[in-house]
Amino acid sequence: MVTTESKLDDLALDMFGMPGFAPSPTIHTSLSTASLTASDEADKSATNSPALPRRSFLPTSVGARDGFIKLHMAARETEYTHVNKLKIFVGSWNVNGQSPAEDVTPWLACDQDPPDVFCLGFQELDLSAETLIKNITPREDEWLKLAEQGLHPKAQYTKVKTIRLVGILLMVFVKNKYLSFVTEVDAETVATGIMGLMGNKGGVAIRMLIHNTSICFVNSHLAAHTEEFERRNQDYRDILSKLEFNGSEGSPSIVDHDAVFWLGDLNYRISDMDTDVVRSLADTGQYEELLVNDQLIKQKNEKKCFKGFQEGNIKFKPTYKYDPGTDNWDTSEKGRAPAWCDRILWRGTQVKQLEYRSHNKLKISDHKPVSCLFEVGVKVVNIAQERQVMEDVIRTLDRRENDNLPQVRLGRTEIIFKDVQFLEKQTATLDIVNTGQVPAQFAFIAKLDETEHCKPWLTVKPCMGIILEGSTKQVCLTVYVDKESARALNSGDEKLEDILVLHLEGGKDFFVSVSGNYQPSVFGSSIEALVRMYGPIREVPVATLVNLEHINLSNPSTSSDNEPLEIPKELWLLTDHLFKCGMRQENILRQSGFEKDLEDIRTHLDCCRGAGSVYSIAEALLIFLEALPEPVIPYAFYQRALECCNNYMLCKQLIFQMPQSHRNVFTYISSFLRELLLNSNDNKLDAKTLATLFGTLFLRAPRNKEAGLSKRTVNQLTQKKARFMYHFLVNEFGSDLI
Amino acid sequence: MAAKDYDHLFKLLIIGDSGVGKSSLLLRFADNMFSGSYITTIGVDFKIRKINADGEMVKLQIWDTAGQERFRTITSTYYRGTHGVIVVYDVTSADTFVNVKRWLHEIDQNCDDVVRILVGNKDDDPERKVVEKDDAMKFAEQMGIQVFETSAKDNKNVEEVFNAITSMVLRQKKEQQAKASEQSGAIKVKKDKKKSGRRKFC
Repeated sequence: MVTTESKLDDLALDMFGMPGFAPSPTIHTSLSTASLTASDEADKSATNSPALPRRSFLPTSVGARDGFIKLHMAARETEYTHVNKLKIFVGSWNVNGQSPAEDVTPWLACDQDPPDVFCLGFQELDLSAETLIKNITPREDEWLKLAEQGLHPKAQYTKVKTIRLVGILLMVFVKNKYLSFVTEVDAETVATGIMGLMGNKGGVAIRMLIHNTSICFVNSHLAAHTEEFERRNQDYRDILSKLEFNGSEGSPSIVDHDAVFWLGDLNYRISDMDTDVVRSLADTGQYEELLVNDQLIKQKNEKKCFKGFQEGNIKFKPTYKYDPGTDNWDTSEKGRAPAWCDRILWRGTQVKQLEYRSHNKLKISDHKPVSCLFEVGVKVVNIAQERQVMEDVIRTLDRRENDNLPQVRLGRTEIIFKDVQFLEKQTATLDIVNTGQVPAQFAFIAKLDETEHCKPWLTVKPCMGIILEGSTKQVCLTVYVDKESARALNSGDEKLEDILVLHLEGGKDFFVSVSGNYQPSVFGSSIEALVRMYGPIREVPVATLVNLEHINLSNPSTSSDNEPLEIPKELWLLTDHLFKCGMRQENILRQSGFEKDLEDIRTHLDCCRGAGSVYSIAEALLIFLEALPEPVIPYAFYQRALECCNNYMLCKQLIFQMPQSHRNVFTYISSFLRELLLNSNDNKLDAKTLATLFGTLFLRAPRNKEAGLSKRTVNQLTQKKARFMYHFLVNEFGSDLI
Repeated sequence: MAAKDYDHLFKLLIIGDSGVGKSSLLLRFADNMFSGSYITTIGVDFKIRKINADGEMVKLQIWDTAGQERFRTITSTYYRGTHGVIVVYDVTSADTFVNVKRWLHEIDQNCDDVVRILVGNKDDDPERKVVEKDDAMKFAEQMGIQVFETSAKDNKNVEEVFNAITSMVLRQKKEQQAKASEQSGAIKVKKDKKKSGRRKFC
């Protein structure tokens, strides 16, 4: 349930997304692992992304942060816990399959003060074959009842948990007043008997939290027979490695607990000694000589088993093997040597053993029960302090996350270009300084419903990149008004104004304002507007310019009071100059001019100043014609012109139908071209070349109409345009029309 | 699977006129800091903070937007996917209070189902205060939203604002989930009925 919910949340994040931007294949994902933001989810949500289409390349570290809070809380545990000492009684008894018919108080209630926790382990609860196979026995309840009755009389206890594997039974009781502090109780079993599967041997375990301390109790019955100590070691190791609990944080094993108590019939014997010697030493209390040969102590010292566990000094008689009902050593045929089969070990820093003893008063079994009394320090949580530390930990983590967001400082957020002229490049730089603690990946992204990150008259280089901590990247912004953007700027439909969105991946966005003052030019102005300007364009008020550019082409005369010029004077200036000086110039109209000249010519035409070489003037003429918002042959006539290109009569008719000013320009330029051709010996021009060049200039397809056509189709169109134009270059045409 | 460090993730947006203290509120809430010097936000910034809301850990991603008029069309893009919007005015400036209506309209234009809260910031100098609490409350009541008077400078009521809006968002989410599960439950019953009906024919 929780996982589904968090998934929903991820989706929610996607929807509002840590904004990512239009994909770029050049971006490296590996650089960004430092981020702690939950930004990768946005990655999956291209479909849901907001208007600023974004993509994240910083992989989220939610996974890496899993349990960060817990880790920090554990490290600061002492700040919100104090240690309480609890007394834990741990007992173990192999009951040899006997029915519970004995008073167990001498075992369980032998201490003056009642312990806080009882942990009792039994082995060989029921030796019947049925129990072994079906793993059920009535003895469990009987012993449970007996044990409950035998608990210390000075306190009230409640059973926390019992677990049984065939004859191995473990039960835990706590004093009622501690019951509410016991949590996360679980129990598991591991069988190591016949074939490593049967439950006649093995271990059972119960784990729990008491306050904030995790405790595990293990009761095991390991392999029998003196010579089988290796098997016993193996059984121990199997139980240790196979036993796994279900905890709130994964699957803790036995040693994952703050305190572990391991009890049971571990079955280690006294090796290399005669039974009689053992018995006499045991009877006279000379335990130390016997313990030298105790297999468990030897194996443990050799680190073959119970690594990390401790055991108290044994100061009691061996607990095995007695004739049931007596304190006499085994008189049966087998005549087993006495041994300390029944043992209790522990591990944990907060554990102190107070007692380690056997209880010989209990006689029904061939084993005597043993017990330990431990003092265990348990960590008690102060809820208020814990909350405070928790809040502090979260704030610290949040601050770290915020600190790890990419940060940059911009040299400026306002870029103003002064006077911008037609076909004039101006460049400004923008410094981006990475002031953060992680590499910053930046990109200029498209805003709202726009497809590009900036207006066509602006270029931003580079428009994306990575800046390392402490480094600076310089971004160049270049403004360049070409014939495409000049039209809208001349007409006042658009201004040199843009706001760029500089996005930091996985971080904030900056807005960079770019603006400039565009100087209207005759280039990019329409014929209709130009024939109504009597002085230089720079001297025409902006408002008038805007009005002139919005003259209705189909009915131009109504919108103007004064008589329009026959053709734009700029066109006349250019053509007239060429007529006077360039008619015999070789390759005129084919060889390009000089940039500097073109600037001068532009200034000359716009302000009536300066001039340049004939080549430049020729190129200016071409640019002028190319930049006309409405071509010389208006868009409305384009299709018809192509259709009638083979028929001179129809072509002429079409020219007649064009608006007056356009017709004038057409006639004027064509007669100029015919004049040029008269000098073809010098200028090396021919009618076909000029027809192709001017056909393309005069006949332009309405915007975007012919985008994406095949090369062949384009060639065919070019031919048609040339054919149209050719008529007017080889036939005397025009002066009568003007 | 180990648990996430939070149960919910909400996006909050702070809007309002330029200079009312949006960035200061965020700085106070996320980093518990205040800076007297004024730096205009030119763009959108965000910070995160996790808080406990009704016993659940909520991660807040709080977006601070440029208040300047010229950026308004761009900033409106950032409204999408927002769970809650904090509209801020300055109690020492009547104009910023008058403009709240425009900001609320802006929310309606850009968000479908979003929790809103009104905040009058800079409530730390009674001498300079011009928007009275009663007026703000009356207006908020008309608009059906809650209003808080805060001071990022004095750390007054800042936590309360974010706690309140987070609880509201959480409540809305729970209601929507309950509704959704109710509906899917109804569909289930229908399907089952259909099935049993068919069985009769077999």
